[in-house]
Amino acid sequence: MVQQAPRGCLEVEELIPASPDQVALWVCSLVALYGAVRVITEPDTLRKLPFLNVFSFAISGIIALMIPHPLALVAAVAYFVGSTFESNAIASVYAGGMEKGEHRE
Amino acid sequence: MIEPLLHILIAAVCCWLNFIIIDMIFNLPREGGVSGATAIAEAVRRGGGDIRGGTMMGNIVSSPDASAGTLLAACGVYCFGIAGGLTATVLVYIGNRICHDPGYAGTTGCFTATGIVYGGSLIGIPPSAFIAGMVLAILTIQGVWHPWSSRLLGAVWRWRN
Repeated sequence: MVQQAPRGCLEVEELIPASPDQVALWVCSLVALYGAVRVITEPDTLRKLPFLNVFSFAISGIIALMIPHPLALVAAVAYFVGSTFESNAIASVYAGGMEKGEHRE
Repeated sequence: MIEPLLHILIAAVCCWLNFIIIDMIFNLPREGGVSGATAIAEAVRRGGGDIRGGTMMGNIVSSPDASAGTLLAACGVYCFGIAGGLTATVLVYIGNRICHDPGYAGTTGCFTATGIVYGGSLIGIPPSAFIAGMVLAILTIQGVWHPWSSRLLGAVWRWRN
């Protein structure tokens, strides 16, 4: 009797890229993994941020590639802008931030 | 398997040229748009890199620039056709303002990339190849070795001037 994989589990054949979109998805996934490893291994906090940027690019691409829906674009942009804003805030704090009582126009 | 990878490589070269040219036109390496960008430039210089290239890398990190515009235009065209690319342009404009960036590099990059990605889809390069291509293009600048990439950007900046 041939045992079938439980529902929801991936078959090995499904992991092999079969279409150009899946090849693109694999490239983005590998770059995201690479970015995550570099963020962890880089000792300087400010120099971590460009690697985090690479990671954000790859994740935004994965969001658009995995969800075939027009609203996936909004999700990808929201994720990317949010991630950029966070990097901006971290870098600004390391740069000294705003003086107490200072207001940006 | 080989053909999609070839498409991704061609798309990566197109995306790389698009975002470097637009960022250089909008003078991103000249000064940090926000204080965080200047801090990243200093960190890259301390690590043996070029200050002008580091400033451009800091600006890319701190606000959606032409590279982000190129990626999101490719996502837009992939999800929703040319209207998706134009929607991405509007969203990048809003993202720039959220990040306190007064420039138009991201918006312009997104607009030109929409045309490039749509043109590519007409000659057989799918928009998904441009998404992966832009991820590879940003990897060469931000993710391999900062001293090398910042010196390259600095050399392009000095050549432009």
